[in-house]
Amino acid sequence: MAQCVQSVQELIPDSFVPCVAALCSDEAERLTRLNHLSFAELLKPFSRLTSEVHMRDPNNQLHVIKNLKIAVSNIITQPPQPGAIRKLLNDVVSGSQPAEGLVANVITAGDYDLNISATTPWFESYRETFLQSMPASDHEFLNHYLACMLVASSSEAEPVEQFSKLSQEQHRIQHNSDYSYPKWFIPNTLKYYVLLHDVSAGDEQRAESIYEEMKQKYGTQGCYLLKINSRTSNRASDEQIPDPWSQYLQKNSIQNQVYVKNNNEICFSVDGLPNNFRAHPLQLDSSSDPSNSIDDPDHVKSASSLHETKKANTGIIHGACLTLTDHDRIRQFIQEFTFRGLLPHIEKTIRQLNDQLISRKGLSRSLFSATKKWFSGSKVPEKSINELKNTSGLLYPPEAPELQIRKMADLCFLVQHYDLAYSCYHTAKKDFLNDQAMLYAAGALEMAAVSAFLQPGAPRPYPAHYMDTAIQTYRDICKNMVLAERCVLLSAEILKSQSKYSEAAALLIRLTSEDSDLRSALLLEQAAHCFINMKSPMVRKYAFHMILAGHRFSKAGQKKHALRCYCQAMQVYKGKGWSLAEDHINFTIGRQSYTLRQLDNAVSAFRHILINESKQSAAQQGAFLREYLYVYKNVSQLSPDGPLPQLPLPYINSSATRVFFGHDRRPADGEKQAATHVSLDQEYDSESSQQWRELEEQVVAVVNRGVIPSNFYPTQYCLNSYSDNSRFPLAVVEEPITVEVAFRNPLKVPLLLTDLSLLWKFQSKDSSGKDNEEARLKLFPHHMGELHILGVVYNLGTIQGKHSLSMSVRGRQDLEIQGPRLNNTKEEKTSIKYGPDRRLDPIITAEMPLLEVFFIHFPTGLLCGEIRKAYVEFVNVSKCPLTGLKVVSKRPEFFTFGGNTAVLTPLSPSASENCSAYKTVVTDSTSVCTALISSASSVDFGTGIGSQPEVIPVPLPDTVLLPGASVQLPMWLRGPDEEGVHEINFLFYYESVKKQPKIRHRILRHTAVICTSRSLNVRATVCRSNSLEDEEGRGGNMLVFVDVENTNTSEAGVKEFHIVQVSSSSKHWRLQKSVNLSENKDAKLASREKGKFCFKAIRHFIFHPSEKYTFADIIFGNEQIISSASPCADFFYRSLSSELKKAQLSVHAEKQSIEDAVRLIQKCSEVDLNIVVLWKAYVVEDSKQLILEGQHHVLLRTIGKEAFSCPQKQEPPEMELLKFFRPENTTVPLRPSVEQLSNLIKTSLHYPESFNHPFHQKSLCLVPVTLLLSNCSKADVDVIVDLRHKTTSPEALEIHGSFTWLGQTQYKLQLKSQEIHSLQLKACFVHTGVYNLGTPRVFAKLSDQVTVFETSQQNSMPALIIINNV
Amino acid sequence: MAVCVAVIAKENYPLYIRSIPTENELKFHYMVHTSLDVVDEKISAMGKALVDQRELYLGLLYPTEDYKVYGYVTNSKVKFVMVVDSSNTALRDNEIRSMFRKLHNSYTDVMCNPFYNPGDRIHSRAFDSMVTSMMIQVC
Repeated sequence: MAQCVQSVQELIPDSFVPCVAALCSDEAERLTRLNHLSFAELLKPFSRLTSEVHMRDPNNQLHVIKNLKIAVSNIITQPPQPGAIRKLLNDVVSGSQPAEGLVANVITAGDYDLNISATTPWFESYRETFLQSMPASDHEFLNHYLACMLVASSSEAEPVEQFSKLSQEQHRIQHNSDYSYPKWFIPNTLKYYVLLHDVSAGDEQRAESIYEEMKQKYGTQGCYLLKINSRTSNRASDEQIPDPWSQYLQKNSIQNQVYVKNNNEICFSVDGLPNNFRAHPLQLDSSSDPSNSIDDPDHVKSASSLHETKKANTGIIHGACLTLTDHDRIRQFIQEFTFRGLLPHIEKTIRQLNDQLISRKGLSRSLFSATKKWFSGSKVPEKSINELKNTSGLLYPPEAPELQIRKMADLCFLVQHYDLAYSCYHTAKKDFLNDQAMLYAAGALEMAAVSAFLQPGAPRPYPAHYMDTAIQTYRDICKNMVLAERCVLLSAEILKSQSKYSEAAALLIRLTSEDSDLRSALLLEQAAHCFINMKSPMVRKYAFHMILAGHRFSKAGQKKHALRCYCQAMQVYKGKGWSLAEDHINFTIGRQSYTLRQLDNAVSAFRHILINESKQSAAQQGAFLREYLYVYKNVSQLSPDGPLPQLPLPYINSSATRVFFGHDRRPADGEKQAATHVSLDQEYDSESSQQWRELEEQVVAVVNRGVIPSNFYPTQYCLNSYSDNSRFPLAVVEEPITVEVAFRNPLKVPLLLTDLSLLWKFQSKDSSGKDNEEARLKLFPHHMGELHILGVVYNLGTIQGKHSLSMSVRGRQDLEIQGPRLNNTKEEKTSIKYGPDRRLDPIITAEMPLLEVFFIHFPTGLLCGEIRKAYVEFVNVSKCPLTGLKVVSKRPEFFTFGGNTAVLTPLSPSASENCSAYKTVVTDSTSVCTALISSASSVDFGTGIGSQPEVIPVPLPDTVLLPGASVQLPMWLRGPDEEGVHEINFLFYYESVKKQPKIRHRILRHTAVICTSRSLNVRATVCRSNSLEDEEGRGGNMLVFVDVENTNTSEAGVKEFHIVQVSSSSKHWRLQKSVNLSENKDAKLASREKGKFCFKAIRHFIFHPSEKYTFADIIFGNEQIISSASPCADFFYRSLSSELKKAQLSVHAEKQSIEDAVRLIQKCSEVDLNIVVLWKAYVVEDSKQLILEGQHHVLLRTIGKEAFSCPQKQEPPEMELLKFFRPENTTVPLRPSVEQLSNLIKTSLHYPESFNHPFHQKSLCLVPVTLLLSNCSKADVDVIVDLRHKTTSPEALEIHGSFTWLGQTQYKLQLKSQEIHSLQLKACFVHTGVYNLGTPRVFAKLSDQVTVFETSQQNSMPALIIINNV
Repeated sequence: MAVCVAVIAKENYPLYIRSIPTENELKFHYMVHTSLDVVDEKISAMGKALVDQRELYLGLLYPTEDYKVYGYVTNSKVKFVMVVDSSNTALRDNEIRSMFRKLHNSYTDVMCNPFYNPGDRIHSRAFDSMVTSMMIQVC
């Protein structure tokens, strides 16, 4: 139980006080009415005696009564109606609310810190009102009238007459059987005659004389002259008089008001004694039901009048006609009445009762109990009369001796003589129990327990079991809940004072029942307080009972109390993981708050349910959501102009917010295909974004002459959580900004968002979109400046069935994006700091050009090496001209815009499909085998801008694209050499004509996806021709073998490939003629066929001043494709440069410091012959024959080494074994390989193929042989020629027979660069036969090199000679 | 047999709570939560002296009109609370005790799972099925 203002020792005596009736004449009533008070009310503030009172008990002992209080009330002839009491109690409780600024106690129990108001004033006022409004019952006398004040006014015509009238009236009420109520203590009630005298109006002398008369008639002890109204009420109240009534009357304003109403009736009644017919003040119309009275139209009037009177009441000043002297007089009167009238009366009565008791005791002691009843006079044992028996046992007549004991006990109790009271109660209890008079017994038990508790010095412990029995009897046997409740209230309070909280709680809980919600609620609340006040507080029980109390309060219509209870319980459940319970409480709080119009609280409570990851079922969540929306709607209707409040749902994943600057991508339009650019539909890919960044850096570097400016930042069109958001992004006026917001719905029910729009801090207009998961919102900036996107505004609603009206509310949510955590400095590492994220704060800059790029006839599938022509359209859609258009790609070999000069670029052909992409010239078919020669420089073909071959300027006609203008350019594509899917990134770069300080350039991205399928595989080798040079063969001849294999698996419908032309391109070499090995003249290759071509290549010594390449075409058809023109040359140069780049890379990967000599040696085995194989493929597609064209490049670098058109697939390196020791770092000095060294000198033997010799004439045959030594290197070479046979193996001898070289067997020579030296040798044969002359061994070394060993030179082929005998 | 089984962490938040008439889940939550006061009371009443030999079974915590609430506390102060229909007279103390022991074993298994983070809600299928078996036996 909560703490109370009154201790139990004060409470109980105050609850049971001597009752005095007051019966006033009309005139007297009128006098008091001047003060807006009835007579009883007038006395109320003074009803407590200020001084101690003494009286003598039956044993003549002096007994001191402290703080005696009497209760004076008007006579009411009907018992209070239970309904009326209930309503009164209800009003009392709802009228008493916790003070606003009440500092709650903090109770710490375990890990709970609870704010609990220690006092419960509503409970105290309930209890007080409850105890006061107890109807008097027959089994006890505590609230029976002990005395009656008869009040008449001095201004009456016949006051004495009036007194006797009143006296008669009182007698009539007490003794007439018409009136069963009120109850009177004893038959001869003390009558006290009071003459009221109005000082300001009445005649003082007359009053005195009447008083004198009264004194003579009734004795000085029995009458009193009370002078009041010393001033007139209409006089200005300049004198401030304290108003002691207010605290008594305001407290129960309803009660008051009822009095006032009744009193008004009195004023208008003409009847002499209106009191008689007055209803009990608590009585209501029988039809009225307090529970639903407010809404009932019948009661509107009464309610409104009630309201009026209440209003009037607050304005009324009580006791306006009373001065302080009058107050003293009244106090004096009460004192006088108590001392002279009431107490002597009580004393006398006790004595009489005691005497009776003693005499009865004497009797009962001597006689049997059966006869006792007969002897005790008028007492008729009701036991024998069955019909009088009720459920509570028997009824005694009022004069029964058992009741006399009870009466005496009650009297003693009222005058605080608890010892005597206890013994009397105890006796009475025994008697009643013997008689099985349960109601009486319960009453006696109850009071016995109370008086035992109140006995000074506490001679015996508090008999709690008395109380328990009493409660049980009241409740179960007598079915009298009111009495049981009183009993519980007293007992609980007593137990509380003894710190027996657990028992008190049990008592309180036991009395909760279905019949009264208010009582149950209050008792449960008190029980809850008991739990929390225990030595080890039971927090959860407290919370649970608070919830139960809250539930009952809400059932009783006490919304505020219900809300308070739930809120207090909430503290225990909050954040402890009991989500189901928490949600329930929050829901209830929300509802209660809503009904109390505490909308903010309601909203926040509902919010709680929704934002936490709810474990409720979907239906429950739907209910929560609907309720929330409903409440929320009401809130927003209250303040329609206020700022939109934050909505809790759905969740916004703010870090997933993406911002996109620019227009949406246009969908493909027929053959036209727009550049993919950037869009929100693309997933972020760090690899590709890095690629784009590199591309942009490259182009920017090219534009700025090789340096990237320090203030360069890659252009970001789409900002997301991965992009660098530390700077304010730049947006362009008149270009939309799209914001994508990621929503997540934590509930199991769908949410409907409508009218979604962005909220920002910059005047502009918006448009709105809708999406369940992600919403994209656009805004168009119209002015330059800074924009701040703050959040989103939307209508939140539920999706419901067709019939019900779906509800939605408007609210906002802010977008606040936290930047990445900083982790650079030490300070940042040790603390948690986040960088800024400026995604949503773009700066709007001035207009910029905007380029759109479309691709026309852009293929998606190609054969490897296929050449296709497409068109690109550049459109400037902005209002500014653009310039400096460039395109950059990692794969420049994939496409070309043609040569720089118009001559080299074929004219835009007609739309015919089969038209060749190449520039062709018709030739006559006779000149098949000889090469047609032309030359071109790589500069003409757009490659090789500085070190960045990837950056290609777009050849715009005027270099400027005007606003609205569009340019269509041809573009050739070549299918990449590798089969598979290729993603090729194009980055278009352009600038504004006007220089902008903030944005220097803009970019457009395009990703082309090309699927290539296998076509041809070209392998080529080059080797030295061994044959002696012909006419012009000065620089050495080469044989070029080209193997072409059709690797197409015909899935693309390729029927066959025709090799139409093989071209060479080199600075130093050219193809001379085709050495046809096969008969396959038209060079057709069906699926999986392989063809071999052999060409003769010669060195040409026409040195061009620049890096010019000589192209030589060998044609197999009747059309020459000019390989030195676009696009053939373009692609050739592109593949060359990319190849070179690769080679460079690999060189870089090797060691940089190769000795010069080594390089020299290497050089001599190098060629730079590039072969271009041009082909046509016949493809059947949809029963239509198509001719596709293409070209393959083979770059021949080294003699004897096979080169391929497509890079060979590298075997994935095998998993390396883990080494558990450190590998020895041995650096092998770099030296040229033996193979390389062996190519220094080219040897050839010149001799007659067959030699006829007449052996019979001359046994020795001498054959002259010329050994040609040619130095392939550019340095001087020392050569040793050793003619001695080295082979020692017998087989070799057998096969070749033996011959000998005559003359010098070893020559030492020095050959200058490119020098050819011939040695005249003589071979001597002794037999006929076939001999191999290739035995001379040639060793060579660079002359200026000492370290390099002489290396045996490559042996040429066997040189066979036939010696014939003639 | 049992209508509600709950495992409560040392800090008195639920690790696991399941009841069989699911429509009235809230009531059981309240009931279990309130019973924790009694558990606390019983634990403090036992004192600290005999921690090792302490009886883990706490017996009947409190009866309500329709249900009986039993409690059990492990040495690590994890509480098991079981709500049993009071009309079911077949269940005596011994049965309840063995049910708690079964629950404890199963709980220990959950704890032994290296992927279980102590203090998290229990989402174990094995534990779930064990609880179900305890609930279904009579129901």
